[in-house]
Amino acid sequence: MTSFQSQLGDGEGIAEELAQSQRAISIAEFFEKNKHMLGFDSGARALVTAVKEAVDNALDACEEAGILPDIYVEIQEAGDYYRLIVEDNGPGITKQQLPKIFGKLLYGSRFHAREQNRGQQGIGISAAVLYSQLTSGKPAKITSRPKGQAEAQYFELIVDTDTNEPEISVDETTAWERPHGTRIELEMEANMRARSSLREYIQDTAVVNPHARIEFMEPGLEESLKFERVEGADLPAETEEIRPHPHGVELGTLLKMLEATDSYSISGFMQGEFTRVGQKTADSVIANFNDRHFGRGMAWSPPASHEDADIAAAVEDAVANKGATATAAFADAVTDAIEDRGRVAHHDIVAIVDEAADEAEADHDKTFGSAVRENAVEAAWAAVTAERTSDLYELVDAATTVRKDDAAVEGLASRLAEKFADPADADDDERRHRLTREQFREYVDRAADMTEEQDEVTFGETARENIVDELWEVAGRVPDDPPKVTDVAGDRDTASELLTAMRETDIIAPPTDCLAPITDELVESGLRKEYDADFYAASTRDAAVHGGDPFIVEAGIAYGGDLPAEGSVEVRRFANRVPLVYQRGACATTDVVKSINWRNYNLDQPGGSGIPNGPAVIMVHVASTNVPFTSESKDAIANVPEMEDEIELAIREAARELKSYLNKRQSMQQRREKQDKLATILPEMAEKLTEVTESEELNIDDSLARIMNNVLVEREVEDGTVRLVVENNDDTNAELDVTDIVSVEPADTNGAQVVEMDGEWFVKWSPTVAAGEKAVLEYSVDDEAEFTVSVDGIEDEKLTVDA
Amino acid sequence: MSSETKTQEEEAREKLIGLAEEFYDQFAEGDVPTMSIPTRTKSNIEYDEDMNVWVYGDRKSTRSAKTVSGAEKLLKATYAIDFLAQQLEEDRSSTLRELYYLSESWDLEEAQFNSQDESNDLIEDLEIVSDVTREDFHMRPEESGATIMGPLKLREQTRRGEREIHCQKDVGEGGYQIPNNPDTIEFLENDADFVLCVETGGMRDRLVENGFDEEYNVIVVHLKGQPARATRRITKRLHDELDLPVTVFTDGDPWSYRIYGSVAYGSIKSAHLSEHLATPEAQFIGIRPADIVEYDLPTDPLSDSDINALESELEDPRFQTEFWKEQIELQLDIGKKAEQQALASRGLDFVTETYLPERLTEMGIIE
Repeated sequence: MTSFQSQLGDGEGIAEELAQSQRAISIAEFFEKNKHMLGFDSGARALVTAVKEAVDNALDACEEAGILPDIYVEIQEAGDYYRLIVEDNGPGITKQQLPKIFGKLLYGSRFHAREQNRGQQGIGISAAVLYSQLTSGKPAKITSRPKGQAEAQYFELIVDTDTNEPEISVDETTAWERPHGTRIELEMEANMRARSSLREYIQDTAVVNPHARIEFMEPGLEESLKFERVEGADLPAETEEIRPHPHGVELGTLLKMLEATDSYSISGFMQGEFTRVGQKTADSVIANFNDRHFGRGMAWSPPASHEDADIAAAVEDAVANKGATATAAFADAVTDAIEDRGRVAHHDIVAIVDEAADEAEADHDKTFGSAVRENAVEAAWAAVTAERTSDLYELVDAATTVRKDDAAVEGLASRLAEKFADPADADDDERRHRLTREQFREYVDRAADMTEEQDEVTFGETARENIVDELWEVAGRVPDDPPKVTDVAGDRDTASELLTAMRETDIIAPPTDCLAPITDELVESGLRKEYDADFYAASTRDAAVHGGDPFIVEAGIAYGGDLPAEGSVEVRRFANRVPLVYQRGACATTDVVKSINWRNYNLDQPGGSGIPNGPAVIMVHVASTNVPFTSESKDAIANVPEMEDEIELAIREAARELKSYLNKRQSMQQRREKQDKLATILPEMAEKLTEVTESEELNIDDSLARIMNNVLVEREVEDGTVRLVVENNDDTNAELDVTDIVSVEPADTNGAQVVEMDGEWFVKWSPTVAAGEKAVLEYSVDDEAEFTVSVDGIEDEKLTVDA
Repeated sequence: MSSETKTQEEEAREKLIGLAEEFYDQFAEGDVPTMSIPTRTKSNIEYDEDMNVWVYGDRKSTRSAKTVSGAEKLLKATYAIDFLAQQLEEDRSSTLRELYYLSESWDLEEAQFNSQDESNDLIEDLEIVSDVTREDFHMRPEESGATIMGPLKLREQTRRGEREIHCQKDVGEGGYQIPNNPDTIEFLENDADFVLCVETGGMRDRLVENGFDEEYNVIVVHLKGQPARATRRITKRLHDELDLPVTVFTDGDPWSYRIYGSVAYGSIKSAHLSEHLATPEAQFIGIRPADIVEYDLPTDPLSDSDINALESELEDPRFQTEFWKEQIELQLDIGKKAEQQALASRGLDFVTETYLPERLTEMGIIE
């Protein structure tokens, strides 16, 4: 994601952030300063943007109410201005909702939501309202008729540019022919220079919203353009809003979420605010977080019997006034427990001592207070850590795969041992040998540097990292509770540690049922409806994930027919069912189309790269809870590798169908050419032969069928026995349906399906005939019968019926 | 024309129409019309021990109406059969070139020939499948202009009557021009000791100018490059009927060896006629690669195509003899070739006074 985009995800959106930072100036001034980002930087573009916002708004309103959209868009010349009218058949709006939807500038709440919706695309209809008011001085005129109401309500709405508060200046009832819906009328400074973009936008909207009916009228048109609904197309599946995925948030968002959450613990926060996080995942995140936040406690082997340090003796010495028996039992319990562990960190000893003390208290009726316990811990810790070099020697030796010189390993181990503080001095963490991974690395580096210097050996990057890994593995995770949410929220560094921990934890991908693809079927019908082509193909990929956001890519291709054969293929881009009009060159979709070798798919591609040529339209639709755009104007999809891969796969899937269509077309073309040629040559030859041999005229149909690799269906009738012979002269299997319509009732039909209808018998037979083979259907008829045979399942070019 | 030839023409016509009937029947049966002919490549010729010539082997290639090009060939064959049958019926004749141009008048474009090679090949195909020579179809090639000079008297049956010609006394320096169908010739008398076939015009003229034909009683046949069928046919008849030894004198390069090959063994393209055309007893005089070395002749280096041709001859069944293997390998070794005229570097009379007498003595042709 671009940095701009990352801010986008942070909160209520760029718009609010922009607005916040500019509170000192008026909303008008603010708009003026930012209009390039809002899509209102020129009169031509302003009109397209306003149409786009209004149509998106209308479609969303209908869909949310479960109504198949029927949208009417009209542009009228109104003196020096243009008037934009957009009507929908949505649920209508109440007076209370009115200011929120149309007036409250730049308070979209949608940027935060992880949901696939159109709103992501735009800054909102309110910007169009403000633009019209600022340029023409006219209020927005809104007519609304909620379902079931006898009359419609008419409002005029003005935004106070000082306070950014909408005011309803007119509120009266009116008559409106739509049974329910909303109509908005805006007058604005604009021009029609982007007429073709506008029409493309409307057409494209119709393609990706096959469930919508759209009508469009503009000055100069005699009749409105109608884009009919695909028959049977349902509303898109309802999408669910999902909570963010831990892999998809940025630090800023995380901080805001931490501030806003009701949770007290990190675990509760993780589980409550994120998708795909349960107890187990939360624990993993917290473990990783603790590693970063607290570090790990280095664990040491207890002293071996030959070593001087004696845990039991040390612990006994540290315990006073508890009586010899209790003291000895306590010391032994601690010693045994430590020796059982093999390796103990400071926090392990704390736990062991606590357990032994509790036991001793129970058995001996003595109190082991915290001071005693602490003393015991420190004594045991001192005994355990007295001898560190041999411990480290073992670890370093295991970590250095390339057999290092014994002396070098010994040298490094002893220097490393010195880095760990003796229990007596240093601060709390150092004393407890509690280190972050970075600190471990620091110790290793320093020890290794010194060893290199003095022993003239080298410990390279890999060796050092291996040693750190070994130590990190041995070191134990600390049992401390993670900081509370409020502490994390208050400290950027801690929050950053949490974010890192979230990212390095394996978490299953976000759910994808929050996405509503158009589906390949409807993509194809959409194309079919708007482009008169010979061939259509579409594909819908399975959902994939980038960052923490699921996405689905769909592609469609239309080819041939009325599409212009000259020039480049048209590339149509969509995000969440909204056409992307501008910045085609900056879009990942375009890049992917250019990078594909279209010659593989039988399209002409000069130079072997770039946009291919030919009568084709390639459309790509990306549906996501967070489409990564290159910039706020949301015209181009950013080059996110995961998304590019999916776009490519989707296009290739559709392109493969195109290729097989083109191959087939070509081979049919060749077959036709061959047949045309042979169909001239052979009859002439036959005629000449008749002439030369002075014989009867020849019937060469059967020869032709064999020559053309055709499937030949022949009838033989003899003594009331009818034989239909299917001869496959092709080199692939032929599957066909042969229906013989007989004027009398047939008998002995050998398994063929017989249906009588109006005194005619339909004998249907569906043989599969292997290449070069024959199949025969035999049946009998009593009398003189008449036959009509029809054959399905074989292309006309490949079929010869002689029956 | 005698009644005997009439029968021959009728037979030829019947055989052609028989071919058309085969196609007709194939159509009538609902089958795919095909025509099968021996593959005409050097890998499909074999030595006929009875005839001592090379003929086609068993490998066949099939022209089938299943493909556009095959169908076109069969269509053209049908049209050609029609034309030839008519020509025979009317007792007329035409040249191969005329056939090519005549096809342009056929109303069906697909039946027209694209090149004269195509029409020539088709006539050869028809010869093979009908077992009738093109002379019997009344098809002739263009006059090749090959000539004979020597002590031979013959009678030629021309369309303008019989002519008796002595090939030394009745002809100019150019010699007697061999007609397209040498079977119209009857040999009357001769005073010849042997036949000398010469590849190039320059050498033929040199021999005639030097009076070699008179001095050695030799019938000089000018091959004019790759000899036409008529030239080969008359050479064979001179050998068979007059019992004259035949010698061949060419340039010393791979292409000239093929000229010798087609005189002696028959050509690959007309192997079906080898028994009529080849003179297996014909002997090669030179220029041998050994001569290039022996006489230190001026040479040109072998080109790549020369080398390929020599290597291909090493695999050609017709050249699988000790003599040829040795000579070709020698030539590849020295990498040189020489023309007949290279002998002039030793003087204009060298060829008639030294080279040929020496070679012919060596070969036992003269004493």
